[in-house]
Amino acid sequence: MNLTGCLFDIKRFTVHDGPGARTTLFLKGCSLRCIWCHNPEGIRPEPEPAYYAHKCIHCGECVLVCPYGAHEMEDGIHRYHRETCAACGRCESVCLGKALQWYGREMSVEEAVQAVLEDRAFYEQSGGGCTVSGGEPLLQADFCAAVFAELKKRAIHCAVDTSGAVPWEAFQTVLPHTDLVLFDLKHVEDDVHRQQVGAPNKWILENLRRLSRCGVPIEIRVPVIPHFNADEHSIRAIGEFLRELDHVTTVRLLPYHGAHSKFESLGLPDLLSNVASPDATRMECLAGCLSHVGIPVK
Amino acid sequence: MIATLQDTLQTDKEYLRNKFRDPVFDESTGLENETIKSDIQTMAEEMKGLPKPIIKARIFEYITRQVRIDVNPRDWFVGFACWNRKDWFFTPILHQWRDEVFHACSLTTPLRRDLCASGAVAMWPDFDHSVPDWDAVLELGFSGLRERARRYRRGKQTDGTLTETAAAYYEGIEITYTAILEMIERFHAYAMKTADGNPRVLAVADCLKQLRHGVPRNTFEVLEMIYLYFMFGEHIDHMQVRSLSNLDQILQPYYKRDIESGAFTEERIREYIDYFLMQYASINNYWGHPLYLGGTGEDDRSRINDLSYIILEEFDKLNITSPKIQLKIAENTPERFLNVALDMVRRNNSSLVFLGETGIKRAMMSVGFSQEQAREAVISGCYEYNVKAREVGTGPVYLNLLKPLELVFNNGVDPMTGLPVGCRTGDVEILTRFDVFYRAYLQQLSFLLDASFRCVDDFEQYLRDINPANVFSATIENSLKQAKDAFADGSVYNTTAILHTGLATATDALTAVKRWVFEKKELTLMEMKCALEENWQGYEKLRRNILNSKEKYGNNIAEVDHLAEAIARFCANRINLRPNARGGFYKAGMHSARTFITLGEKTGATPDGRKRGEEMSKNVSPSMGMDRNGITALIHSANRIDSAMYPTDYALDVMLHPTTVRGEEGLAALRTVLRTYLAGNGASIHFNIFDADTLRDAQKHPERYESLQVRVCGWNVRFNDLCRKEQEEYIKRAEAVRESTQPEEP
Repeated sequence: MNLTGCLFDIKRFTVHDGPGARTTLFLKGCSLRCIWCHNPEGIRPEPEPAYYAHKCIHCGECVLVCPYGAHEMEDGIHRYHRETCAACGRCESVCLGKALQWYGREMSVEEAVQAVLEDRAFYEQSGGGCTVSGGEPLLQADFCAAVFAELKKRAIHCAVDTSGAVPWEAFQTVLPHTDLVLFDLKHVEDDVHRQQVGAPNKWILENLRRLSRCGVPIEIRVPVIPHFNADEHSIRAIGEFLRELDHVTTVRLLPYHGAHSKFESLGLPDLLSNVASPDATRMECLAGCLSHVGIPVK
Repeated sequence: MIATLQDTLQTDKEYLRNKFRDPVFDESTGLENETIKSDIQTMAEEMKGLPKPIIKARIFEYITRQVRIDVNPRDWFVGFACWNRKDWFFTPILHQWRDEVFHACSLTTPLRRDLCASGAVAMWPDFDHSVPDWDAVLELGFSGLRERARRYRRGKQTDGTLTETAAAYYEGIEITYTAILEMIERFHAYAMKTADGNPRVLAVADCLKQLRHGVPRNTFEVLEMIYLYFMFGEHIDHMQVRSLSNLDQILQPYYKRDIESGAFTEERIREYIDYFLMQYASINNYWGHPLYLGGTGEDDRSRINDLSYIILEEFDKLNITSPKIQLKIAENTPERFLNVALDMVRRNNSSLVFLGETGIKRAMMSVGFSQEQAREAVISGCYEYNVKAREVGTGPVYLNLLKPLELVFNNGVDPMTGLPVGCRTGDVEILTRFDVFYRAYLQQLSFLLDASFRCVDDFEQYLRDINPANVFSATIENSLKQAKDAFADGSVYNTTAILHTGLATATDALTAVKRWVFEKKELTLMEMKCALEENWQGYEKLRRNILNSKEKYGNNIAEVDHLAEAIARFCANRINLRPNARGGFYKAGMHSARTFITLGEKTGATPDGRKRGEEMSKNVSPSMGMDRNGITALIHSANRIDSAMYPTDYALDVMLHPTTVRGEEGLAALRTVLRTYLAGNGASIHFNIFDADTLRDAQKHPERYESLQVRVCGWNVRFNDLCRKEQEEYIKRAEAVRESTQPEEP
């Protein structure tokens, strides 16, 4: 099996990505461009550097190894020129302040399975397992399915955290090995969705409808974003949509948190840099909008 | 009209807080403390030549007769003017006696001084770990304990085996306990005189009357008895009482009877517990005063009972750091109890330590104790397990595991002091391979251990001459049987713990030498030596690279963890069951108390990137901020070392970010960490839960964070009480946690 996946992170002991304590594999590449994205390092499919300016100790080590002139020292101050950077990765390993970080690494199925199995003792104690997230993990559905197939041989709980913005075939590839789908539902109105997410939502909703007929438990996750869906009308509409579906076990409302430093480190604009997270009262009020749906809201 | 609990505690809290900090005593009740102190110096001089137990008992008697007392309407517990831990009456006399012993140990005294001065070890005759047979104390009472001692004395007289030493031993107990009874009588008389119809003072008087002649009969009397024993033992007789017992088990039968008979309401019992706990909060001993809860009974069922919950709830409500509570956890421990405790932990009351009964059992059985002894083990001090009523474990040595490394680099000579405390392992030039270097490390380690054994064996044979344990001995039946001081050598098991500091940092340092010197050949061993001598100045790039490497203990890297395990095993093999000078044996322990700071100050720069004087790792925990792979990796690393090799104790500190432990899932997450660690090789664990931003805000606005506590080693302190440097260390640690374990959230 020579299949590899491109991952930008492995987080251990994640407790909010499905039941129990889990290991979450973050797969790189996403078909959406949500302006509130909390993992912007997972958007582009190819490996890329991130530069955390506040960590730089201006040692100049990167200048010495960069063949593209992307790093430069000016009066003892380091400057990074992203536009000339070829993302070769040479600078990351010499960075003394750990200001340069690399997002994206090819990993074989065996490596990924081994990484997950390391924390087996924790899954056993907690009823946890493995979650693939991203980015959009189902853009690498074959890899996910292969990892899950190995994990299922060892009876490990497998969950997919998806935006749903993938061809239905991708779902079909992983579902036979999947115990739970965490499905992001952002908005049910197509025009608003197009505007803020950069893609229509028709196929997302269609995928969710089809998924709900497959029998795999679904947890709906709604990122609550100010000026997008943090209003009663939007949330109620989501509730109405969910009423038609089967096998939805939970709805989880997740308040927006900015990822400003990540955007900055990747040289991406953070369009929501001035937006505050919705407060607890707001979240409670919105949760109330779903009370009639008959699905537990968390 | 009966005031409600909240009302009385609220009004009395101020008094209770000041009771041991800024106490006021009725001058007519006795002499000033300073007068007593000078009087007893004279007495000691006059009695020179008499057996030490008798001198000590006579002085004890003088103190109990002359010291000022109080029975205050604001309190359920009596007041002793001689309470001060930092200024014990006996200290100058006991120091004299200790110096006499050191003088007698003329062969090892210079060695001990050098070892301590070089920071290779911290070493002293330890009197801080006595735990009385609480069952005997409560079943016999003070008068009963005296009567039992008399019986044993008469037995020896009858069969003609009462030697002069034995007679002095019994006489010490006789005088001491008679003095205790007299002092209780004095408290009683004072209460009656000053009561003025106050129902609480009258109730205390009633209790004292009972304890003067008999045994405690109800919950209140038991608590007063424990408190009295503690004060007599620790604050007059100068033996630290290192466990206030398994309070939930001890109180349960009395509590049940009191509730059933209607003698007390539950509310009233909670009030007694509040006031009891407040005594120790007010004493505010830096190390905290331990008591423990839970465990498993003979029937294999959990011992968690109503009192376990009540005590935890009251402790939580009072928001105090001392007493510190240890929880014995097993598979049968109810989830509800764990949730109550873990919820307290995540709300910043981290003053709870969790001990796995499986770990205790494996550890105790590894040095020959039985399963039953392990089940009934007393938890004393920070985390130590001892056989109930039959074992005294002293802790005279903390071994600095970094020092042997410095000694390898300097051929046996401590570089900072120039003292030749190590052995000759050769100049660094001849250490041409890592295995040669590593073996030299073990040789230095072995040499330091041998030197420590020599010193301890020498002074521990005289413990009874430094501080005879009159109050304590009367509670230990084996001591009475043999007419031998219970703390020195009269217990069934007289064990001596060698404790360890810096395991992780030593592992990281050895790994760095292996990788950077012998494998990558970035520099020679000689150059590494220079870098360390220069405190890394001029070697910043190398230091950064070493620090950035994940090859550190705590990251679930088998090669590194196996090295830690090998060092731990090497020490344990040399220590465990080695005969000591008290007719017992040595036991290895994996806790560091404050020595990770104090011994760190005496240790130069080390190859792991640590700078001169900086702290080293403590317990079986990683070097500060070096566990970059998160909590699961840390647990795997700690579980690679068999905690049963450390029959004294084995403690792990973990730090979690508040977001990880939020909500229901968060509570489950904490349970998972606890259960997984204990199901592996783990023994004790405690948690620090906070983020760097909170700590930084607490530095700026201490007034808003009065209740924020952090775990130091086996005890908690308020964050506000730490010095700036120590606060910074916690902030650094919290930052490292944020980087490695904070979950991603939208």
